[in-house]
This record gives sequence, C-alpha cells and structure tokens, in this order.
Amino acid sequence: MATRPMIEIEGLHKHFGPLHVLRGIDLSVAVGEVVCIIGPSGSGKSTLLRCINHLEVAEQGRIRIDGELVYRDEIGGRFRAHSNRAIAAVRAQVGMVFQNFNLFPHLSVVGNIIEAPVHVLRKPKKDAGRRALELLAQVGLADKAEAYPEELSGGQQQRVAIARALAMDPKAMLFDEVTSALDPELVAEVLAVMRDLARRGMTMLVVTHEMNFARQVASRVIFMDHGAIVEQDLPDRIFGAPREARTRDFLKTVLER
Amino acid sequence: MFELFNPQVAVESIGPLLGGLLMTVELTFVVITLSLVCALGVALAGMSRFAPLRWVVKAYIEVIRGTPLLLQLIYVYYVLPEIGIRLNAFAAGVLALTLNYSAYISEVYRSGIQAIAKGQHDAAAALGMTHALAMRRIILPQAIRIVVPALGNYFIGLFKDTALCSAVSIQELVFTAQVQAALNFQYFTLYTVVAAMYFLVSFPAARLVNYLERVTKSGYRRRRR
Repeated sequence: MATRPMIEIEGLHKHFGPLHVLRGIDLSVAVGEVVCIIGPSGSGKSTLLRCINHLEVAEQGRIRIDGELVYRDEIGGRFRAHSNRAIAAVRAQVGMVFQNFNLFPHLSVVGNIIEAPVHVLRKPKKDAGRRALELLAQVGLADKAEAYPEELSGGQQQRVAIARALAMDPKAMLFDEVTSALDPELVAEVLAVMRDLARRGMTMLVVTHEMNFARQVASRVIFMDHGAIVEQDLPDRIFGAPREARTRDFLKTVLER
Repeated sequence: MFELFNPQVAVESIGPLLGGLLMTVELTFVVITLSLVCALGVALAGMSRFAPLRWVVKAYIEVIRGTPLLLQLIYVYYVLPEIGIRLNAFAAGVLALTLNYSAYISEVYRSGIQAIAKGQHDAAAALGMTHALAMRRIILPQAIRIVVPALGNYFIGLFKDTALCSAVSIQELVFTAQVQAALNFQYFTLYTVVAAMYFLVSFPAARLVNYLERVTKSGYRRRRR
C-alpha cells in the first residue's frame, strides 16, 4: 500500500537552556497510522509533540504537515518564521490533547467544542453545535452538553477535550500523555475513545505510558531516550523482542510495575 | 446650652451636602469607567512584545505609585496650565484620578491575566486561535472574573479618594462641607453628617464586593433553572 506521509520531521533539535532535549529527531507518520511514543520521563517525548504544534520552537530541523513545510522557511541556510496567522492556520489542522485536559472552565462543554470552529473556522454556530453533539455522542457524553468542565470527572473532561480537538476536523491528532493525570479507574474510558478513533482511520501520534494500549492499537511503537529515537518497530517486536538494551531495560522497569 | 451636634444645622445643610455627594458619586462613576477601560490598554501594553512600550508603561506606573495622589491632582490643576494645558477643575480631577487609578487597576488586570494557567494559552493556540483571539475569548473572560473583587475594592477606594478633589475646588462632598463650615463654624455637625454619608454608601458597597467575591470563588457551574 502506498502511504502518504502526514507528519514528517527531519533533524529536529531543541534546547532548554543548557539541556539538549531533542537531539536530531527524524520521524514520519503516514496517513491513518497510529504511532505510539514511549520512553522514560525527560526523554523529550512531550517536547517533540509540542514542537510539532509549534507550542515549543525547535532551533533546528524541518517539520512538514501533509507535505507542506510549516512554521518557517529556510532561505540560504537561514530561517524565516512564518506569520503568526500562518502558524495558527497550521495548528487549526492538527488536533492536540493535553495531559491536564486544559478545557476552558468558563465555557460549557458545548461551548468548549464549538469555540474554535465558530471563531477560527467561522462555521455557523448552528452547524458547529450540531457537530458538537455528534462528537459528544461519539465520546459517550451526549448527556453532558450543557455541563461545565468543573462538574465532570477527569475522564469525562479528557473525552470532551478529544471531542473539542476533533471538532476542527484535524488531519492528525497529537496525544500528550492524556491518561497520566487520571485516576486509574478512569483511564479505560479515555483509551476506549482513542481506540475507536484509531479504528476510524485517524492519523495519531500518541505519547503514552499505557503499554497495553501501545501494544494493541499502535501501528508502530517508538522508544525515545535522552532526546533521541532509540528504536522503532511494530509493537509486537518492540514489546516481544527489543533490539536495544536501553529499550529492554525500560520495558522491564515499566512492565514489572 | 452648648451642644456638639446641632440637629437644626444638620437638617439645613443636608440639601447642599447631598448636592456635594451627587458630585462625589458623579466623579466616581466617570473616573471608574474611564479607568477600567484605560487600565486594560495599559495592562496589555505592559505585556507587549515591543520592549519600548513595556518600558513606557513601567515608568508610568512607577511614577504614579511613587507620588501622592494629592500631588498628582495639584500638578494637573496648577502646573499643567503653565505649559499651556488649561483644564477646568472637574476635568483636571477626572484626568488626575484616571491617570492614578488606571495605573493601579492595570496591575490588577496584569495579575489576573498572569493567573490564568499556561495550559489555557496552549489549548487555545493548539486550536488555531491567534494570540488576540485567545486573549479576547479565553484569557480575559477568566481573568476579569478573578479580578472583580479587587476592582470592587478600588471602586470603593476611589469613592473616598475623590475627597482629595476638594483641594482643586471641585464642589464634591468635602468641599461643600468646608464651604458650609466657613459660614456657620458647625464643624462637628457638618463633618459628622459628611462621614455618615460616605459610610452609608461605602458600607453597602463593601458588602456587595464581599458577595461578589463569594460568587466568583464558587467556580463555573450550570445555571439552575
């Protein structure tokens, strides 16, 4: 099957002060692929995700989304940043879900979901509202449309956050440790929504500590450590027979838990 | 018989004093309205990415905070005419108070805006919102709710600070009392009535601010129908 890349990353470097958090990342995610990134904390997984959405700015490297070079041009070896408007337009095409949900507390569930479609995409409020209700049904929260985020459990909030991102009809979805802040009994409901999304063919890049999810849902698993991709492979190979010692050590630590 | 409080004087002076109170209230509303708007501009300018603008704002705030309000009033009324800016007493009072309160309230806004978690900015940005749109739709509505009690306190503070305008001959409550006292020397009676008038407005207003504080701290909920 010919696969068109949706996200392509080339030679990405990022520092936080003296800390070299991304050390030359090369990565390609094909349309419809579900790629899970695992690795110890501080390995740069979240930073990588945030660079893809330009929430962090990488000093070096290129990012292409759906074939387009995004966030800046390279002219004669020098970078020229795109306009804020152009950057926002790219972000509007890539959904992101955060560890801490980051729902807008002053807006109802429906208000959260229609906010960007109405004010960024300029969709009529009525259409956006109808779509919001469909998405709420999809994430199993049809009855919570009028509730406020504070009235919901963590798992429910995270499902709303997924619906909010989906309302933009994104080309790809980025998930940044979306179950890490949840009570254990609430993790499953969020993972179920993500599983369903993967089945529907969404292109997904998922930073996670949920090894079972990665094993069952991912088309490919990437192990990152110290700001670099150590190895990537089919989930069964990574979990069954990792080639690198660092991957083995990491999996041993997390799976023995 | 010698009496400190003279009820007859109190009754006779109540008319002029109410006139003064009306001017006090008018000043308060004009200045708070202007200040709430100007302060937002000052706060946003103070967080601008353009450094010289931030320096100007910083200098303005420090000068206002580092000098007495009474002096600022006197400066606007008596000194500005020497460089050709002639304002009547009311305009001078409004200008000086607005300059003063805009500086303080802008700091309230700034702290409110900065109290909004970074995750809110991230979420707005990730949805494709520009900085301006995120400010308007996501950050400011939450920030304003946070600062409502503080703004209420400034409102009450301003109501009392307008008394300083008597120094530039605005016929507000204190000035009116001074005029009356110069005629009948009934200081005790006049200033007691004036104090009662200030208190009767301030106290309920303070209760209202307390109530608003409780409401804004209670979180965002579905409206009960």
